Amino acid sequence: MCQKNHNKSNNLRKLKMKNIIKNTIAILAVAITFASCSTSDETISGIGSLKIEFENGFAGNALVLGSATLPTSNSEVLKISNVKYIISNIELTNEDGTTFTYPKSESYFIVDEETPASLLLNLTNIPAGNYTKVKFGIGVDESQFSMGATGQGDLWTRAQAAGMTWSWASGYKFLAFEGTFSSATCTDVSYMIHTGKTGANYNYTTTTLDLPTTALVRTTITPQIHLSTDLSQIIDGTNKINLSSKNGMGMGVMIMGGTDLPLITSNLPQMFSVEHVHNDPN
Amino acid sequence: MDFFSISSFLTNNQMKIKYFLWILLPLLASCSNDEKYVNVPLEFKVPSNFPALVYNIEVNPPTQKGFELGKKLFYDGRLSSEGTISCGFCHIQQNAFTHHGHTVSHGVNNLAGTRNSPPIQNLAYQTQFMWDGAADNLDFQPIIPLLSAIEMNGNLTSIMAMFKANATYSKLFKEAFTDGQINSENMLKALSQFMVMITSSNSRFDKYRRNEVGGNLTSDEIAGYSIFNSKCASCHATDLFTDNSFRNNGLSINPMVNDVGRYRLSELNQDYYKFKVPSLRNIEKTAPYMHDGRFGSLESVLNHYSNSVVNSETLDPILKQNGVLGITISANEKLQLIAFLKTLTDDQYLNDTRFSDN
Repeated sequence: MCQKNHNKSNNLRKLKMKNIIKNTIAILAVAITFASCSTSDETISGIGSLKIEFENGFAGNALVLGSATLPTSNSEVLKISNVKYIISNIELTNEDGTTFTYPKSESYFIVDEETPASLLLNLTNIPAGNYTKVKFGIGVDESQFSMGATGQGDLWTRAQAAGMTWSWASGYKFLAFEGTFSSATCTDVSYMIHTGKTGANYNYTTTTLDLPTTALVRTTITPQIHLSTDLSQIIDGTNKINLSSKNGMGMGVMIMGGTDLPLITSNLPQMFSVEHVHNDPN
Repeated sequence: MDFFSISSFLTNNQMKIKYFLWILLPLLASCSNDEKYVNVPLEFKVPSNFPALVYNIEVNPPTQKGFELGKKLFYDGRLSSEGTISCGFCHIQQNAFTHHGHTVSHGVNNLAGTRNSPPIQNLAYQTQFMWDGAADNLDFQPIIPLLSAIEMNGNLTSIMAMFKANATYSKLFKEAFTDGQINSENMLKALSQFMVMITSSNSRFDKYRRNEVGGNLTSDEIAGYSIFNSKCASCHATDLFTDNSFRNNGLSINPMVNDVGRYRLSELNQDYYKFKVPSLRNIEKTAPYMHDGRFGSLESVLNHYSNSVVNSETLDPILKQNGVLGITISANEKLQLIAFLKTLTDDQYLNDTRFSDN
């Protein structure tokens, strides 16, 4: 019985293949005809790729893990040991105003300063176009949480491997920013800032960035958007977080919830800016 | 069910359909070399006396294979770092899936936790999970004990590798989910399917509420139900006996633990010492009681509410009305309340072999 089916299936497949080849030739013929009519105007079509690179820094200087930063407005000097964040829900705006949303379940990226490969996001299957804006989220949004596990693929596994799951709540760390700080009253005191969903506060935020140069996604061009990340904005942005004042028990500063978390979350969009865009041929 | 057993059901006048299926078969065969398994949806009904369903079963509908996979996961100690602590280790069916005889449970390396293992029943109707609401979606609840260093201490990367190397798991993941992926998403969805199906809705109380055969309550039990409605039901609301809120019920603070309750999650001062109002179903079987299992009997629980409520800034106002701490309950009322609470025992659920470890 089985053998018979396979013969049948092989014959059918051969038939189908023949049809596919015939159709392809027909389509190609039509396409070539049209293409030869318009050589002057560029027809933007097909599918391409785009890369987004994150370069972490602090107040205009490059980030060197373990080295002292410039002082913040609260005169605190940090030695950063760990920076990770989840980038999600990437959306590109075309110059004609239309948007392309990267498939949600494929759009969760864990950017980790200590893992160089993670600093470069490779986005594929993007419609060719002239893109003038990029928008993305920091963290996991409410609509994703409301879907339960559905649509999260292997994110829990990747997040645990990267140390980006909470230990006491079933959620992700959206941002992990850790190290030590010194000030007039503290010397090399440890700090840990973790943002994420706490109870009913989602602490998810987004940022929208204009591109100084249009990103030209083509079948032959993969643009690279270089983002600079100013980590000082986490605690020294619109909202100023004084770490020294939170070292109450002398055990170090841990901000993982409470009233400071929404303040830090609202600082996060200001962290990101576009340094430049390359439109390099593949 | 494979193609041949489907075709054997077809009669002569369905020859056209049969012919159509013969054409389809090679297409199916070309997708995978395995026999195509057709997953069977499980029937899920909301009992008439229950509140509205919370879990989104349209996104993750329980199926035969999803349930089977979820059950296998639930009872598999290999998910823990030591290979011995399964979900079922601390959630024993005969005790409404609690850890009988344990104030708090012990996980890997014999490490003790700080909280009492809660029952697994009717979770599809629950909005908050864990004593402090650390999860507010059933899908994410298992992540907490699974990853906790003092519970299962599991490593998802190793767990996925174990599934992929295991023929039974590989087959089940493929059969249970249309994308057939072995990943954390499908693992959590299978666990939810298993837990969603664990319903306790056939206690004597349920039958009384639905006017069904076997729903007779004694006069003491009915009196107890009436007292319950006037003195307990504002928090232990609905026929599932919880309003899913977090409250400080005036327990004295154990200085050895100082469990701050929901504050641990929110770090908001208003949440100090607040814990989730638990369901009271099968309460007869789930001793010891409270978030830390401090009370060994229902009598002790009621004595707490009548005599031992401790005042604090976040004490629930219901337990401090007109400046009086606690709830006034007479000795006889306590007996009647306990008689009523025992009508919530559901032997069908406690002994249902569908949920049992094989």
